[in-house]
Amino acid sequence: MTGFAQVDRSQLPEAGPAPELKIGEAETFTLENGLKVFVVENDKLPRVAFTLVLERDPIFEGEKAGYLGFVGQMMRAGTTNRTKDELDEEIDFIGASLSAGSTSMFGSSLKKHQEKVLELMTDVLYNPIFPQEELDKLKKQSLTGLATTKDDPGAISGRLTSALVYGKDHPYGEFSTEETINNIEVEDIRNYYETFFKPNIAYMAIVGDMSVEEAEELVTEYFGDWEPGEVPSFEYEMPSGTDKTMVGLVDRSSSVQTVIDVVQPIDLTLGDENYISSRLLNQIFGGGSSGRLFQNLREDKGYTYGAYSSFSSDELVGQFSANASVRTEVTDSAVYEFVSEIDRLLAEGVTEEELELAKASISGSFGRSLESPSTIANFALNTERYDLPSDYYATYLQKVDELTIEDINSTAKELIDPSKLYITAVGNGSEIAEKLERFGEVKMYDNMGNPAREIAMDASMTVDQVLANYIEAIGGRDAAMAVKSAKVSMDADVMGNAITLTSVYDDENKRYAQKTSLAGNVMQSTSMVDGKGSISAQGQNIEMNEAQYNEAQMSALFIPELYYESLGYDLKLDGVKDVDGVDAYKVIVTNSAGTFMTNYYAVDSGLKIKNENPNSGDTVFSEYEEKDGILVPMLWTITSPAIPVPLAAKVTSIEINPPLTDADFN
Amino acid sequence: MRKSTFLGLMAFLMTLPVLAQKKIDFKEFTLDNGLHVIMHQDNSTPIVITSVLYHVGSKNENPERTGFAHFFEHLMFEGSENIDRGQYMKIIESRGGTLNAFTSNDITYYYELLPSNELELALYMESERMLHSKVDMTGVETQREVVKEEYRQRYENQPYGTILPETLKRAYSDHPYRWAPIGSLDHLNAATIEEFQQFYNDFYVPNNATLTIAGDIDYAQTEEWVRKYFTEIPMGSKEIYRPNVTEAKKTEEIRDIIYDNIQIPAVIQAYNLPPRNHPDSYALSMLSTYLTGGSSSLMTKELVDKQQKALAIAAIPLELEDGGIFIMYGITNMGVEPEALETEVDKLIKQVQDEGISDQDYEKLQNIIENNIVSGNSSMAGIAQNLAEAHVIFGDANYINQTMEKYSQVTKADLQRVAKEYLNLDGRVVLYYLPKTEESTTEE
Repeated sequence: MTGFAQVDRSQLPEAGPAPELKIGEAETFTLENGLKVFVVENDKLPRVAFTLVLERDPIFEGEKAGYLGFVGQMMRAGTTNRTKDELDEEIDFIGASLSAGSTSMFGSSLKKHQEKVLELMTDVLYNPIFPQEELDKLKKQSLTGLATTKDDPGAISGRLTSALVYGKDHPYGEFSTEETINNIEVEDIRNYYETFFKPNIAYMAIVGDMSVEEAEELVTEYFGDWEPGEVPSFEYEMPSGTDKTMVGLVDRSSSVQTVIDVVQPIDLTLGDENYISSRLLNQIFGGGSSGRLFQNLREDKGYTYGAYSSFSSDELVGQFSANASVRTEVTDSAVYEFVSEIDRLLAEGVTEEELELAKASISGSFGRSLESPSTIANFALNTERYDLPSDYYATYLQKVDELTIEDINSTAKELIDPSKLYITAVGNGSEIAEKLERFGEVKMYDNMGNPAREIAMDASMTVDQVLANYIEAIGGRDAAMAVKSAKVSMDADVMGNAITLTSVYDDENKRYAQKTSLAGNVMQSTSMVDGKGSISAQGQNIEMNEAQYNEAQMSALFIPELYYESLGYDLKLDGVKDVDGVDAYKVIVTNSAGTFMTNYYAVDSGLKIKNENPNSGDTVFSEYEEKDGILVPMLWTITSPAIPVPLAAKVTSIEINPPLTDADFN
Repeated sequence: MRKSTFLGLMAFLMTLPVLAQKKIDFKEFTLDNGLHVIMHQDNSTPIVITSVLYHVGSKNENPERTGFAHFFEHLMFEGSENIDRGQYMKIIESRGGTLNAFTSNDITYYYELLPSNELELALYMESERMLHSKVDMTGVETQREVVKEEYRQRYENQPYGTILPETLKRAYSDHPYRWAPIGSLDHLNAATIEEFQQFYNDFYVPNNATLTIAGDIDYAQTEEWVRKYFTEIPMGSKEIYRPNVTEAKKTEEIRDIIYDNIQIPAVIQAYNLPPRNHPDSYALSMLSTYLTGGSSSLMTKELVDKQQKALAIAAIPLELEDGGIFIMYGITNMGVEPEALETEVDKLIKQVQDEGISDQDYEKLQNIIENNIVSGNSSMAGIAQNLAEAHVIFGDANYINQTMEKYSQVTKADLQRVAKEYLNLDGRVVLYYLPKTEESTTEE
């Protein structure tokens, strides 16, 4: 063997001659009932997959929003021949898969079990019984899921952008609520099934170890008797978008990050003249880590972990989106960068180098996708569904290669209108609202994408007056000042576990202790004495540093309003807000280190009804009762990202000015 | 690089390594410097995968410097003497390719997937990494920040993200499997540049590497290019450090509670497994399928569908070279106490231990395994990885063609026996994951 001592490592090896991409063809035939079948034969492995797709217009679900999401699981939940248990067992027994959705069914197995899979698949297709208990189970799961998304900034942002871009009376702009889920009945699902599961709007793709002759025989046998029927069609108006750029803001005062999305409805369908150039455009603008957005907002500015864009195509209406989650402080700077990048894209266009990189990336990805035989089936389906020229995919790479800088630039101009953007932000409103005004009118929305109720505030109201009203409401300054200390015990139920919270407040001497017990065992305790604090949990004792102590201090007083001034907190009245239907003054309390929390005081009663804390979550105070001359809330409802359902803590005992010893704070 | 998260690992483990019906053909050779090369030709699509498996994982680390192997997976994209910083990915992308890497307790694996006319480029890039990667302060400092973000995103911020490290920590008292590949950020911060360079010199050597090429290739041309780019790479001067530690059998249960940023409590159980190439591994893998694989499996049907005590349940054998762990995790349904779920899980384990499984279920298992094995080698990327692991872990690349046979030797009695022998309720780890009730929430 000779050595290769002279390998030139300073130059990258050149590419060899480009290999020929053989794009397989799908065979096709149509049954008398209208079912169109595509067969992609690939005998590399002895397995076969059947995919059934229904082609219908999008449906506006209205007061039953969410029912389409239940259709597949309901069909799969039992037939006139088999219970759900029997279906599960028979599918698993042959190592197969079988699933369904509102516009699809999928079955796959080894070749030798193909007839069994078809038997099970058609049993689900022809004979579903839609059991009520399955619907009950699905509704329960769905309601639980909805509850967890109400405080999820990503989900809130998604609802807001859909509501703005498409409008709530469009199938893409509506979403389920507790009310619509509760409205769903078995009949809705059965009606849908009976109306839309028809062969004349269906495509079947068969991929794997099967010839077209065998496929024709099997499909005729299993699907030949499927009765066609008339299927309704629906039309929707193209969403008009906004006249000029506006900002949609959801105030989530506990947010430390802002979810930003810059969106716009676009007219883009698969196969239209802008489609392929929009793939390249997106790759350059925000398709990945080499995109302009990522390079600018993450690599250069460090605002975010990632910034991306997308141009989605759709027969009704597509969407342009550019998005990132950024630190609260840089929200307006980040929006500025998004807007500037859009302006720069339209004014200056893309460069030759960017275009070449994007072409290589898109072409490589196209070539790799051909390894999977299902890609060929998708090509055949798309060609049929979107009425593409028959050589659309065969000449795809050629089309990519022929695109010029001018093509990309003109696509950008045709798709994006920089004067009519929706800029959405989900974050801490009091920190970001004003700063966003320079981008357009700022409109407020709630967490379900509805316009927030605007409430006017008496201009003469001051923060001192709000606090004075509160002290008056709980019993007056003398009564409040007479409360030097308190012991409070509360019970709550967490996922079936009884939790006891006990707190000892010594407001006069700034001492505080708190214990959380689960079934009598102390799980966690906090103690603050003589300017020092510590937290014990899981056998570990952690001393608080100064910043942590000062932060904890904000929540360590029984009547903190009496001490805000002496503790040097900054107080800001931020208008009247709607707190679960009650008008309340919003007061932001900030300590010297900049840590803040928000209190809400009811306009009519003066009482404190809610506290929002970015670190620990929200607490709603209710059921005020008189104890030793002052009003105390007996029910504390705590919501936090860390707990799944609101925690209802009931006061079980309260002692005002109890005898205290050092042991109470150990 | 995108990381194998715990869930990713699970998905990876569920893909079984081999195809029985259809033999995978391959050719092998070894260079004088110890580099082992495996080639598999399949001309059906004009793509090629080039991968290098370095036989170094978190178990080869100094206990005071955990996280090194994974850190290197990041560092190794920083460039080489001939590839500028930040260019590695860009070069691959500009030639229409994609790349990725992962680190486990046992191995570090890199690959590039490219059009087949770019094979020479891929071999050049991998040889640069092996010959003279850039291990300098700039790279180390950049990647420390990235790994910190990764740690936050994948572990701290990910619901149940700490299951693997928390479980390993308790399942092993002596073996270096006691720490997870992500390791310790403090260790990475404390390490000097000389330590990083030493790790590279110790482990990133041809005699600790397996190069695998699969796809639209010509065997002779491929071998010629491999020799051209890899021959000059010197062999390592030291013996590769491989821990020789036998973990003592546990006789007492270890039980703990972890508070996490999660919505719903979870119950984790972990049982120690035999080494990955032990014959019982096949029976244990089948047992996990029996317990939780598919809607009709024992625990899914009973606990998720019928009793509705669990939202989801899974048994995953995390198979490792020196003996991994069999992890069972169950996520409770609303209002169900973890204790209630655990009691039912234990009842079902006892049922298998006492009564074994039915003929019908045994046949079902064999059908499922057959389906998984046939589907397991459907991509070039999968075949390359399976060949490399067969060579390194099982000592023979042809192991890829023997898996079905090994599974078919497992009897009904074996399944009951391994359930008794390994799922020992008295020598396991049990963790409850509970929602974190934050300090200040309960203070108010």
